Amino acid sequence: MKYIGFLVLIVFWSQWSTGQIGKKVQFIGGARSLLSHSNFNSESDTVTAPKSTGGYALLDLGFRINPNASTEILGMVRIKNAFGGFWGGGVSFDVRQLYVRGVAGNFLRYQIGNIDYKLTPYTFYNHNQDVLSSSIGTMKIKEDVANYESFYKDHTWRQQGASVNFGLQFPKLIQQVEFNGFITRLNPTDFQNVLERLYGGGNMVVTQSKYLKLGLNHVGIFDLEGTALDSNIYHNNVSSLTYDLQFKREKFTYGIDGESGISVTKQKLYPEKDLTDYFIHARAYFNIHRSKLNLDLGYMDNGPDFRSFGAQSKRINFNQENSFYNRYTNAQMLRSVSMYDVYNDPNLYNQGITARVMDYNPVINNVLPYGIASFNRRGGYIGISHKDKREIIVSNAKVHYLSEIRGQGTSFLKSFLMGSVNGIFHAHKLWKGKKEFNAQLGLTYQKTMRNGDFSFESVNLESILINLGIEYELIDQLYVMGNLFTIRAQGIDQKPVRDADDQIINYEKYEVKGNEMNISGGLRFDFSEKIYLAAMYEWNTNKFNTEHPYTFKQFSIFYVMKF
Amino acid sequence: MKNYTLIILCFSILISCRKKELNKIEGPNLTDVYGDFAVITNLAASQNNVDFSLGQSVYFTCELSKISNWKLSIVGLTSGAEKIITGIGKKLDVSSALWNGSTTNFPMFKAESCQVTLTFPGEADTLTTNVTVAQPKVNAGFLIADFESGWVSSWTTFIQSGAGMDFNIKTNSLSPQQNSYYHMEGTVNWDWLVGLVDFNASAYGATTIPLSSNGDNLYFNALVYGAPGLPNSRVLFRFDEDENQNGSFNSTNEDQYGLEIIVDWEGWKLISAKYSDITGNGKGGNVHNPDKLNKVSVLHLANPSSGIAKSGIDYLIFTENGPLQP
Repeated sequence: MKYIGFLVLIVFWSQWSTGQIGKKVQFIGGARSLLSHSNFNSESDTVTAPKSTGGYALLDLGFRINPNASTEILGMVRIKNAFGGFWGGGVSFDVRQLYVRGVAGNFLRYQIGNIDYKLTPYTFYNHNQDVLSSSIGTMKIKEDVANYESFYKDHTWRQQGASVNFGLQFPKLIQQVEFNGFITRLNPTDFQNVLERLYGGGNMVVTQSKYLKLGLNHVGIFDLEGTALDSNIYHNNVSSLTYDLQFKREKFTYGIDGESGISVTKQKLYPEKDLTDYFIHARAYFNIHRSKLNLDLGYMDNGPDFRSFGAQSKRINFNQENSFYNRYTNAQMLRSVSMYDVYNDPNLYNQGITARVMDYNPVINNVLPYGIASFNRRGGYIGISHKDKREIIVSNAKVHYLSEIRGQGTSFLKSFLMGSVNGIFHAHKLWKGKKEFNAQLGLTYQKTMRNGDFSFESVNLESILINLGIEYELIDQLYVMGNLFTIRAQGIDQKPVRDADDQIINYEKYEVKGNEMNISGGLRFDFSEKIYLAAMYEWNTNKFNTEHPYTFKQFSIFYVMKF
Repeated sequence: MKNYTLIILCFSILISCRKKELNKIEGPNLTDVYGDFAVITNLAASQNNVDFSLGQSVYFTCELSKISNWKLSIVGLTSGAEKIITGIGKKLDVSSALWNGSTTNFPMFKAESCQVTLTFPGEADTLTTNVTVAQPKVNAGFLIADFESGWVSSWTTFIQSGAGMDFNIKTNSLSPQQNSYYHMEGTVNWDWLVGLVDFNASAYGATTIPLSSNGDNLYFNALVYGAPGLPNSRVLFRFDEDENQNGSFNSTNEDQYGLEIIVDWEGWKLISAKYSDITGNGKGGNVHNPDKLNKVSVLHLANPSSGIAKSGIDYLIFTENGPLQP
């Protein structure tokens, strides 16, 4: 009987609690205005108009309504006006966000409508595979805009559907059990060839004690039979076990955590294309409390047929055309996605799960193109992070040494090395200055190697990315910003070409020798923590296409407000 | 110490779970991609004589030393019809090089001998073989008109009294399907309408054309000719629904749908549209009821100031489950 007398656990998140205490109707949202003037230059290009000016103003206006203490309704509309639009021309109205959430019976927490959701890094997670080092200054402003536009928050994916959550507390044996579940719609049927496709799953997280936490997770992408004439029903199911075994001492904490599981991908009419595989990821960690030094050592073994599209969907669609100077040269060839576009073009970003293997850019991330959930990778990594008592320098470094499990086109395996260092130096804390002075460094080096019996089996691709940023507070609330971003790559790889079923059908010889560099600077005035005005100038040069290098020069003004 | 041992033990178990993948290769072998090009087995047809009207098909085989891009071109020696199949791979077989009698470039195939040519971009090799079409492909669907049996008395026309008016069935080698098509030509300098043809339901022995009621699954198809150097023609296909089933169409309270095509190409082109996607006048509630279709009209239009306009139509056919695969 004493086990039945469990306690219901309801944990409200802080934002939610604030909403309850406040007024019944609140206005929330944000506004942004961007004005830019660009000058594009490519040698001997007499067809592309070099200069362009544009901009927009947008307002995201949300109404948060609390009809009672346990219900919240949020509706947000976006009004966007491209500069130059007049009397309705260039003006768009969209629904940006709509949900109802609350607590049913003081027990069950639910949300219906737009949900920002994640589970674990191998089941449902929005990895940031292509911006390997976040910066400050001008680059941070652009990163924030891209993340806001694509609803990227804390590695969640924006979905449309419903989620529920509840927890139970027990007096003995285990402390608490938390249950999470969700169901979302990936695509609607067209009643002909496209089936209704849903994505659902959930997990159960058992906190046994302060030493042990276990989680059982399952997600599945599945077609609903009978919703179209097509009878080829697709499934991608992933199940995993997460664990964290921790031992805490007075001066240090150590333990082991990780996630292991299996995936099954099936097409009803083509059983020969079924893929089943498993993954193992384990990490041992050692944290020294006094010096705030954390060490970790990990091992991962992600099978070549492991598919988990909730965790392997990429943020950037590299097969999409740029929306800015998408063609150049006199032949008007397509301009491939560059880091300039990654930082400046929110239209390149996915806003949902893609149920197939997405394309990637080997220069940007060849080691873990689908984040830590990348398939066909085995190996280890070692990491270290540190912050001093006054947090003058906060830094971390990590080295991955991985290899393929199954060779692509040959029995020889590629090996991968990726080393990264990130640090931020809060210089004003050193001399206790009143004006902020922050400097940031990010550096990532990648190398892909394979030796073989034939020259075409050998690959050797290296890339290095350096990201530097500074911010200095000139006078109260006025900051001067400066950034340098550069990525260089050289070498050869054999990039797989996949068909519509993700089977490799060919290889593309990927040969690269070039670099891209972006130097930018500007001023930012913070009216408050949530409102700023920034003006910046940047110079970007791209020499990855050795025959047709190009340069951007751009001046931009950003006004950003959140309320 | 016990805890350290436990962690090391856990790690050891996990690492010992390694898979043995050494004999497996993902995707094609790189030697099949980067080796020397050679033809291992020559181009061949699965049968020399094929009757597409019986639902037969023919496939072509060939084996290469490496994965290559290939282009298979089948040309009718009498009609000049062409079917093109392209692919990438190390071999051609039933899954990659199957021909069901369909056409890529008009006219459609007839009962005739065909030459089959296989080429490889970047390579000098050209392989050939022959296949005979005993009977061409028969397409499922409801045929409105292919003009092979001459003029049907229940069809009606209105032709302006302009200069050089020529609205007639022509039987010559220009026909994209069998031997005849409907030619529309003339100069009308006071009106957009040059002439029109009404294909009335009575021509098919009923008050409404016998079609399915599901406009989402019904496709209208027609072959339209664009005359070289005369991109001024427009062809408007009009669909009149007899909503109240009284035997006639009333434009004030019954739906009329229209599909207007700007004929800015040269030669024959297939036009296909899902019936429910064709826009209407909204006078009858704008609910697509193809089973109440009373008349299909073809209007030849041109800007009055643009001079002579010339076009042609052939093989007007409704198909179900998808557009026509000619």
